[in-house]
Amino acid sequence: MAEVTSIWEKLGFRKASGVSEAGWGQTLFAGLISLIYFLPVLLIIITSFKLQTEALSIPPKFMPTNLFGLIPDAYVFSPTLENYTSVFSRAMTSGGVAENTGFDRYFFNSIMIASVSVLLALVIGTLAAFGFSRYPLKGNDTYLFVILTTRMLPAIVVIIPIILMFRVAGLSGSYLGIIMLYTAFNLPFTIWMMKSFFDELSLDVEDAARLDGSSGLKVFFKICLPQVLAGLAATFVFGLILTWNEFLFALLLTGIDTRTVPVAMSQAVAGGGIGVLWGLLAAIETLFLIPVFFVTFFLQDHLLRGVTFGTVKR
Amino acid sequence: MSTIELKQATKKYGDFVAARDVDLSVKKGEVVCLLGPSGCGKTTTLRMIAGLERITSGEVIVAGQRMNDLPPEKRDIAMVFQFYALYPALTVGENIAMPLHHEKISATEMKTRVDKVAEILHLGSVLNRLPGQVSEGEKQRVAVARAIVRDPNCFLFDEPLSRLDVELRHSMRGQIKQVLSNLSKATVIVTHDQLEALTMADRIAIMKDGIIEQVGTPHEVFAKPANVFVGSFIGTPQMNLVEAKLSDFDKGKAVVSFNGQDIEITTNERVGKLSSPKITIGIRPRAFTAESKANKENIQAVAELIEPMGAETLVHARTKGGNDIRVVVPREKRVKVGEALHLRPDAAQTHVFGEDGKAVRL
Amino acid sequence: MTPITSAPPPALFTPAPDNWKLAILVGLAVAILSMFALPPAASFWTTGAMAAMVASAFVVNAYRRHYYGGLLVAPAIAVLFVMNIFPLLWSLGLSFFAYQSNQQTIRFVGLTNYTKVLTDSLKAPENWANLTNTAMFVVLTVTAQMIVGFLLALMFSKQFPLRKYLLILVLTPMMLSVVAAGVFFSYYYDPTFGLLSYFVRVFTGQQYILMDNKAGAVAGIVFADAWMWSPFVMLLVLAGLVSVPKYLYEAAAIDRVSGWRRFWSITFPYIRGLLMLALLFRTIEAFKMADLVILLTKGGNGTMTISYHLIRIANEQNKTSEGAAISYIMLFIVIVLTNLYLYIANRRTEGA
Repeated sequence: MAEVTSIWEKLGFRKASGVSEAGWGQTLFAGLISLIYFLPVLLIIITSFKLQTEALSIPPKFMPTNLFGLIPDAYVFSPTLENYTSVFSRAMTSGGVAENTGFDRYFFNSIMIASVSVLLALVIGTLAAFGFSRYPLKGNDTYLFVILTTRMLPAIVVIIPIILMFRVAGLSGSYLGIIMLYTAFNLPFTIWMMKSFFDELSLDVEDAARLDGSSGLKVFFKICLPQVLAGLAATFVFGLILTWNEFLFALLLTGIDTRTVPVAMSQAVAGGGIGVLWGLLAAIETLFLIPVFFVTFFLQDHLLRGVTFGTVKR
Repeated sequence: MSTIELKQATKKYGDFVAARDVDLSVKKGEVVCLLGPSGCGKTTTLRMIAGLERITSGEVIVAGQRMNDLPPEKRDIAMVFQFYALYPALTVGENIAMPLHHEKISATEMKTRVDKVAEILHLGSVLNRLPGQVSEGEKQRVAVARAIVRDPNCFLFDEPLSRLDVELRHSMRGQIKQVLSNLSKATVIVTHDQLEALTMADRIAIMKDGIIEQVGTPHEVFAKPANVFVGSFIGTPQMNLVEAKLSDFDKGKAVVSFNGQDIEITTNERVGKLSSPKITIGIRPRAFTAESKANKENIQAVAELIEPMGAETLVHARTKGGNDIRVVVPREKRVKVGEALHLRPDAAQTHVFGEDGKAVRL
Repeated sequence: MTPITSAPPPALFTPAPDNWKLAILVGLAVAILSMFALPPAASFWTTGAMAAMVASAFVVNAYRRHYYGGLLVAPAIAVLFVMNIFPLLWSLGLSFFAYQSNQQTIRFVGLTNYTKVLTDSLKAPENWANLTNTAMFVVLTVTAQMIVGFLLALMFSKQFPLRKYLLILVLTPMMLSVVAAGVFFSYYYDPTFGLLSYFVRVFTGQQYILMDNKAGAVAGIVFADAWMWSPFVMLLVLAGLVSVPKYLYEAAAIDRVSGWRRFWSITFPYIRGLLMLALLFRTIEAFKMADLVILLTKGGNGTMTISYHLIRIANEQNKTSEGAAISYIMLFIVIVLTNLYLYIANRRTEGA
């Protein structure tokens, strides 16, 4: 009698029916690996709940409770929300001295700069994507490729001229300058993403509308746009993620007032006035991470398009 | 021993029953067609035999061995998929040779077998091309070649001709039938095209909503449909079905009334023993004789639409009571729109179906 | 959509608002003149004004000739031009000039900057060292990412319970701000308080200083970078894995194809293209590697990369032309790599 079920099926790694399904065995295995992979992030989150004094300790403390005595006290720390409240209030009471962290301002800068530039890129880029998609020119592919390559350029190559440009034009440290720069950064990716969405729409509906007398603009707003709302959302989110975390150019081109969170974080490490407040930094990063985390979770399906700038679809 | 047997095979997806209590038995060398409209469960049944669907209850037995828990690899079955499932990155020759790797034969013998099969199906010239570079008909032949290059227990075909255009279908039907009869293995073919089933099968199993409605030879299912569904599914143009009431039955002659008409038909005794007078009369369009005058044995109808079909003409007629009757007459008989027709059904080809839809036969 | 033709384009030298050909000629001439005759700030704005003039000529032209496509695309092209193309061109121009010793004026020196950067006995070794460092980083981290990413993708290739939730756990490192990752990895690597040192201490009783030697520092940086970006490779490979039609695997099951052959003949062709894409993207991004270096080692222990070097000299005025030359050398390398990639990618699709 032939073998009935293989060991792989018994362990839950494969299901006999359906060739691309697996059971709980796979979940356990993948869960283990995923957790290990996630560990550094987890440690950051844990650190955000630690007091400054307990953040740097030997041995490192990583349990918030001692689980009724299961874990030796050396590894336990007392959790606190102080770091989080300090981020937005202007005070840090650890150590007894209230200091102005300024991070509320930096958060505001980050949010504003990122959203404005992504929105701008969305508007300009969507129009351009529509143009590329519906009114193809002779050298369409070349143009699009060149646009893509501007993003693939190591930003390094343009750093020096951009710095010079900014200095000469008086844009260093201003909101306008960095927003314009980020808009340019987001454009290629926006155009590619939105073009791939527009390409997928069926032309018949648009042609029918045109025959009924709608002008080009009306067709765009009433017919095309509603259909690609998902694409707009995804593009907006991905742009946000990319811009949010940008460090190099922000480092060089923002001033004291316009500094973004990543830059401020690096300054904190370098001893720029606050010292390395691990707990606070961890709290900042966790806060910074949360919106991106949830949005990525909900947009998992569109994730691929975003990551490859719309060149690959599911 | 090449046989396939399904005993009360059932496949459920949650609460939805895709195939229910399917009983089927295929002998060595026999070709059985699973025929039915889409969603009837024929493909599910096929996949249960192949092992691509886990059987929920019942048994699947191939070559005498119970296969319920065996994965497809272990069943020694060859299958031709509806979308051919050719490996896009391999050449035609490599595609055909794929099943042979399992058999641990030398490379030369592999090549010999591939060449032999390629010759049978006229694929010799495209062996080095990729699936993306050959025509639809050639793709289909490659899929068949891949199946017959081995010596499996049995063959399964999932709608093999559905993607071909009409002429190609015609020639491929013949080719496949030839190949199958040479190989003489139990074969199950799934199709929704009755012409395919009627020409290629030794027996046809007609399915609807997961249940087998009738199993029989092509002649049987045509001439003796087991119920209303089979009657209407087999045969083009479609069989005329008229809901009627049995008014009287005397010595083999039944008086049947529908929508203001009475007609006397000759039928079998069991009709007289029906518990309910509600019946359905089934008459195929070619089973009428057009008579010149009305009498108690013919149906009165008025021609409404004439469809010339070449050698024959299809006439759509309507009775006073509103029933649609389709009649096929030879080309020479000219019928005009509005003409009154007196249609006499041939007794041997008149089917009576009871209230439950089942045919009433001896 | 073909344009609805209206008026014919104006002859070359008639000064009309939509005569873009003339605009280009005039603009180019004035810009070049200004570069030689005026101080940098003034020449910058003059060139800008000329560019604006050319652009407006195009726009009017497009509007008059119903080139809707052109109109829609124009704003995007304009922004990209100003922010990307223009600096590139300017940088190219700049690389051919050098500041005089009085650090006030510049003059044309041709390819001197390039030769100085590459061969000068004082500067060159440092530049070459940076380039080799960068190359080493790129090779190490991209290899690591490809391997880890691929393995992760294999793990997630099948549908299993809770897959969606586990997947996002693995995606999180990509979402971290580089700064945060850098800061916290330096914490983990810290000899006194870090976890790494702690674990080593459990076994050897001594502190472990990862960043002490070049190998350790490189390993530390590569580990952090690969950890952050392997999920990217995973995503691409996963897309390929998932795009294999299910019926191919069913046919393979019926054909009794062995596991290894099934992977190589059926699955791999679908992911090959994406693997190459991942390779390209990650390699180019790896060239930018400066953030982690800044945060973890500040370039010490021989981990200085070319990008970091560029950033450091970006703010020194008399080095800007030298920096421009270095930038262009880097650009050249990237272009060569990209073309190599395209060549390989196209050759495979043709031969396949």
